[in-house]
Amino acid sequence: MLWLHLLVNGLVSGCALGMVAVSFSLIFATTKIFHVAHAGVYSMGGYLTWSALRHGAPEPLALLIGIVACGLLGALIQKLLYERLARSGATHLVVLIASLGASAVLQNIIAGVYTSNVLRFALPWADRTVPIGGVLLSMTQIVTVGIGLATYAGVMWFAHRTGLGKRMRAVASNPFLAEITRLNPRDVHVVVVALGSAIVCLPGALVPLDLGLQPFGGVPMLLTATIAMIAGGVGSISGAFVLAVAIAVLQNLSLLVMPGEWSIGVTFFVFVIFMLFRPRGLFAT
Amino acid sequence: MSAYLRVVGVSKSFGGLRALNDCSFTTTKGLITCLVGPNGAGKTTIFNAITGFLVPDEGHVAFQGTSLDGFSPQQVVATGIARSFQNLRLFTDLTARDNVLVAMPGQAGETPLGAIFRPLHAARATAQRRAAAREVLAHVGLADGADTMVRNLSYGEQKLLSIARLLATGAELLLLDEPTSGLSGAALDRVMEVLRGLQTDGKTLLVVEHNTRVVQQIADEVVFLHQGHVLAQGSPQEIITDPALAEIYFGGVI
Amino acid sequence: MDFFYSYIALAEIYVLLGLSTNLLVGIVGIFSVSQAAIFGVGAYVVAYLLMNTAVPFLPALLAAAALCVALNILVTLPSLRVSGDYFVVTSFGIQLLATAIFTNWTAGTGGAAGLPGVPAPLIFGQELIEPGAFLGLATAGMALGCLGFWLIMRAPFGRLLRAIREDELAVAALGKSVLRAKVSAAALAGAFAGTAGGLYATFLSFIDPSSFDLDASILLLAMVVVGGARTLAGSIIGPFVLLALPQALALIDLPTSVAAAARQLIYGVLLIVFMLFRPQGLLGEKL
Repeated sequence: MLWLHLLVNGLVSGCALGMVAVSFSLIFATTKIFHVAHAGVYSMGGYLTWSALRHGAPEPLALLIGIVACGLLGALIQKLLYERLARSGATHLVVLIASLGASAVLQNIIAGVYTSNVLRFALPWADRTVPIGGVLLSMTQIVTVGIGLATYAGVMWFAHRTGLGKRMRAVASNPFLAEITRLNPRDVHVVVVALGSAIVCLPGALVPLDLGLQPFGGVPMLLTATIAMIAGGVGSISGAFVLAVAIAVLQNLSLLVMPGEWSIGVTFFVFVIFMLFRPRGLFAT
Repeated sequence: MSAYLRVVGVSKSFGGLRALNDCSFTTTKGLITCLVGPNGAGKTTIFNAITGFLVPDEGHVAFQGTSLDGFSPQQVVATGIARSFQNLRLFTDLTARDNVLVAMPGQAGETPLGAIFRPLHAARATAQRRAAAREVLAHVGLADGADTMVRNLSYGEQKLLSIARLLATGAELLLLDEPTSGLSGAALDRVMEVLRGLQTDGKTLLVVEHNTRVVQQIADEVVFLHQGHVLAQGSPQEIITDPALAEIYFGGVI
Repeated sequence: MDFFYSYIALAEIYVLLGLSTNLLVGIVGIFSVSQAAIFGVGAYVVAYLLMNTAVPFLPALLAAAALCVALNILVTLPSLRVSGDYFVVTSFGIQLLATAIFTNWTAGTGGAAGLPGVPAPLIFGQELIEPGAFLGLATAGMALGCLGFWLIMRAPFGRLLRAIREDELAVAALGKSVLRAKVSAAALAGAFAGTAGGLYATFLSFIDPSSFDLDASILLLAMVVVGGARTLAGSIIGPFVLLALPQALALIDLPTSVAAAARQLIYGVLLIVFMLFRPQGLLGEKL
């Protein structure tokens, strides 16, 4: 029954990955910025939540502190970095390099403060297991799936049902039109980056419950998430989430035939296949 | 007269929009043919289809009897056709001369091996080409601006430079996308003069043009395009005085 | 004195590597965070050949360069098919994949423990063990690289690459092969990075995956960005400045775990600050 176990693990980590993919997709589709620093925000989310816990905050409050802090961090990056660069007429390449710099800054602040050793996120309830349909699920896994699905539903609701979400989609599809109709893309950008950053705190805090905190864990996570976004079709929230789950399942099942160190190879293989045969993704808009 | 460039039944759709619809026309060697029609008639799209930037859904393009079907932009240029862009697409961080030099075909030192292992040969060839580039620039009246960065040239000068860059490719058939748009007065006259000069030099021109005065002054033939389809081909007088076409051109614009 | 020679020799190796990055990132305009991976392949190939076979130093270096040419073309090819942002993913993916291979393919690379005891280069019967002796080789390598870069930039090929960076479509419309030019540039960048890798392995006599990971790619980008994109002077000054930094940092007494993070932090800050306030770097042109 190893495969069933791996399948379940894949579905669970897919929900976490899906949150990263959806949050990145929101930012990318709206601002067109390949926000590499999102990897740093992800790591930041985990460490901030962990810190709050250590200072005695109860779990929900600690998570809330992390979410708010990540949202602020995202808004700050948009305001102080991307917006300034846009004003100075920076090329796409320049923005990318700056974003990579921001990612390095965030991760190394963490590494400097907390060292780059893996930190355990010991919560008493996290490892408690519950049998569901013949498989033992840990509380961490159940919480991850619950929050992951709720996040996906929430983002869908936000994008399609709220005024701000509609504005966001308008800016994404046509920034120029949005500008002349006074939707003010700049404000929308700040809100969307903040929102995406707040969301990415969730997987940032949940994944380490299982694997421990690690300052540089965000990069492979983000890479996989961007591959899911591209394979799902840029601009499609569902595409990003579904493909994230699919890739995570594939990664886990690949453990049947090869050791875990090579899972990055599996992910990259998926990307190459899509680039060759369906470069616009499954659910292209 | 035999057709120099022959476009036969070319169609192209983007999603639901049919940009070109069974589009057919010909041009004659040595003449200036103007492509006219309301906005969105498919004028730039047909340029893209001729020059290999777009693969048509249906139809064929042939130049001097050779089919261009499936040719890449690079292969199309090799047959002797070059096109300009409505938004010019000049290399703004390079000088006017460098813009022209980039366009010259078959250069020594255009590969890394040539540049590294035969530097003297490349340098000598470059010296000759610099002189040739200056001549091309002089031809459109830009000899003085040769060493100016493109972004410091006036709009009219940039338009002339885009023509010079086309000339430098050595192509015989030049496809010009709105070479006079945004120009007036002396700058407009200068471009028209350059275009006529090209004809005198034996080049064949296919020009997308909006300005009816320019069409009347330079065109030998006019192709009228509407909704991706050629409605008429004839002399400027025939086309411009046709009341039905005038209705489409001036009244049909939404 | 040896300490000073070491600094110069190492900086010279990084100049060669910086030229490679500058060619791709600065001149052709491809964002790449995988140049350290190519550099690593060069280093591992030379180390492996010298340690396990009778191949002499120069042929080993040549083999490494040739392999890196092929590899860099392969790695850059997707940038011809896919648009800029997709290539970012490709580039990150290749870097992480390479790190996984360097770390986990223990039989070939020694794994995380690395390969100690790479023999010093033997040239014309001279074994270049002392940093002073090696300096000559590093200087020659850098000089050749700089000469090549300079010749290219002033030849029509350099002009073609600049034109491609500005507008690929316009270049294609002028009848030039964008593909061929980009592949040529990638090949050249591969040769530079592979040679630099071979020199690096024999100079340090020890290599491990940490010299060729994503952080190393970021360091490389920082060198190009600080020195200045698209110019020879920029590629030369960048590595000398950035490699002096850790030395300066060593003057402050930081625990080793913090020191490494502080160094990378500074590289990140440099990337941001230069992009915001001086995208042309110290001696380069605007990116």
